[in-house]
Amino acid sequence: MPSAHPLDTTIAVVTPENIAFEYQLAGPFRRLPAYLIDLAVRFGLIVLAGLFLLLVGITTQFSIPPSFLAASMMIGYFLISWFYGTLMETYFNGRTVGKWACGLRVICVDGRPIDGTRAVIRNLLRIADLFPYAALSQLDADIPPVFLIPTGIVGLVCTICTRRMQRLGDLAAGTMVVIDERAWRLPIAKVEDPRAAALASFIPGDYRVSRSMARTLATYVERRAYMTPGRRREVARGLTEPLLQKFEFRPDIDPDLLMIALYHWTFIADPRDPPPDLGPLAGHSPLAKDFGKAGTNTSTALPDTAVRPSEPDEESLVVAEIVDDAQPNAASPGATP
Amino acid sequence: MIIAAVLEKRRHQWAELESMCDQLEMRGRIKKAGPESITRFATLYRSACADLALADSYQLPPATVSYLHRLVARAHNNLYRSNQLDPSSWIETVFVIAPRQIFIDPCVRIATVLFFGLFALSMILAYNESTFPNFAASVMGTQQIEQLETMYAEPLQGSLDHYVQMAGFYIMHNTGIGLQCFAFGILIIPCLFKLSFNAVVLGAAFGYMARPDSSGGDNFMHFVTAHGPFELTAIALAGGAGLRIGVGLFSTGGLSRIDSLFQAARQAVPIMAASATLFFLAALTEGFISPSPLPYTIKAAWAILSAGLISFYFVVLGFPHDFVASQDRSGSAEHYDPLGDDLPGSEASGAT
Repeated sequence: MPSAHPLDTTIAVVTPENIAFEYQLAGPFRRLPAYLIDLAVRFGLIVLAGLFLLLVGITTQFSIPPSFLAASMMIGYFLISWFYGTLMETYFNGRTVGKWACGLRVICVDGRPIDGTRAVIRNLLRIADLFPYAALSQLDADIPPVFLIPTGIVGLVCTICTRRMQRLGDLAAGTMVVIDERAWRLPIAKVEDPRAAALASFIPGDYRVSRSMARTLATYVERRAYMTPGRRREVARGLTEPLLQKFEFRPDIDPDLLMIALYHWTFIADPRDPPPDLGPLAGHSPLAKDFGKAGTNTSTALPDTAVRPSEPDEESLVVAEIVDDAQPNAASPGATP
Repeated sequence: MIIAAVLEKRRHQWAELESMCDQLEMRGRIKKAGPESITRFATLYRSACADLALADSYQLPPATVSYLHRLVARAHNNLYRSNQLDPSSWIETVFVIAPRQIFIDPCVRIATVLFFGLFALSMILAYNESTFPNFAASVMGTQQIEQLETMYAEPLQGSLDHYVQMAGFYIMHNTGIGLQCFAFGILIIPCLFKLSFNAVVLGAAFGYMARPDSSGGDNFMHFVTAHGPFELTAIALAGGAGLRIGVGLFSTGGLSRIDSLFQAARQAVPIMAASATLFFLAALTEGFISPSPLPYTIKAAWAILSAGLISFYFVVLGFPHDFVASQDRSGSAEHYDPLGDDLPGSEASGAT
């Protein structure tokens, strides 16, 4: 397939071990704060170096001639202002202080860590990326012409126009800046609702979850915590309506619950396990053929109270559980048996 | 495949790999450093790679897959750490790679011709009192010229203090200009401007001070002779290295534009390293020899010696050593070429 990669800021890298993994690229506005921090750190380092030399001069009572101190100050200024980024990226595995603070890292476009030559190129070419320089003296003749404000338009345009969000220096050095998050955890969505296992036991055994369906289910269950119950149902309904027919379930089953049940059935439940202990739900059936057979308490399903407020007293058990899920508006007066 | 069981089985190893990454990033090594822990790290990395490769067939949830992507990327980054600057390779860069690159690189020639051409032109114009009396003043400004004259009104003399300080200043200032020339080369025009600007201003100063009636002219010549060869060559080289990168953007030689730029930058770095070395030598000369009251003959001898060294560096070290060998090889290649050309043809005829 010619272009299957998503319209996203991730970039796939294939390592020599033939493992393809993805990096998330850092855009210009994620890199700007890192650059500003680096600028401040560089300035701070120069000030510190100056203070240190002054201290050396005072403690030795200027037995070292001040000119030596001045010369080393100037050489130090030169080295820090031109080679701070190079040295940091080389010896700090692709990070400077600013990049470390903002969770960024420079790597080669082929995924290997940056080496010395590349660090030299990309850091020296930074001043070309900051081009053009706005001369304040053009606005006001009184301002001395030393104040040149870098606008960085060259770098910005170049970053926006390239696939890997590289500035000119990155292009020349063959590097890219990626997001290097430090704090992350393994996300495992847990299904705590006991009704899910119960409903899952009614899913026909010959049903196979397709790959895209599995992905959708996992995404849905991971994200559903951020949605209100009403929204969950709205989002899930589109997917569950054909499934309800396929499974021959009652049409009033809560779509959200069916999604969780399907997730449980796909990812968590082991077919060799004994059937789940249904507890108080034993005897309820979601199947369409049992619909209306045993009156009020026949279903594990949740009626869509938001849509059908006219039947609040049906399936009261399930509505009461929804109250536990902290959905106050579902607790209609007639809900408790 | 029961995902929960897989995750439960795997997550301990992932957590272990994660904690090893933490230690590597915080301390640069694993706590119980030793061959076992390093093999353990490699084993864990490989199994995480395998998990990632199988993630699709396991139908792992997307969040777990993105977790694995980050874990593998992080471990990969720690396994293959950055190659640090190796000082022993600098010697090879400066004395073997750089002169050959300089010798064959047309961009260096263009920059050199541009710089020294404009320098000479500007010097002639500024020197020529009768035809262009105002050239130097209009280039540099009368204030600047007066400053220059008062600076060299006194004969040269200095102390060690003064020398050291000046050397430090020149390292900072002149090498900075060179690096700017180099960096702006990728945009070409700013580089050409900076190169030309420096050439014209320096030429005007030289020409003006060389006029027989200018005050302080002798002292000026006394000052500039010794470090001239080093410094002027260094600026031209820096400009040439910069142009190399910029030209790589449009003269791609059959490569893709980005690859061509990348290759040009790789070629430019040794030239810039040579230029920085020359800047450093120039700064030392300018700091210690130029302002000293040594007799002019010594300074002139130093200038001739340094010019000779530079020529030796460019021509003798830079002359392509495999030139003769490559001639031989191309001859033999010609000899074998017909055979190579025949092969596809015979295949094609066989196919028809």
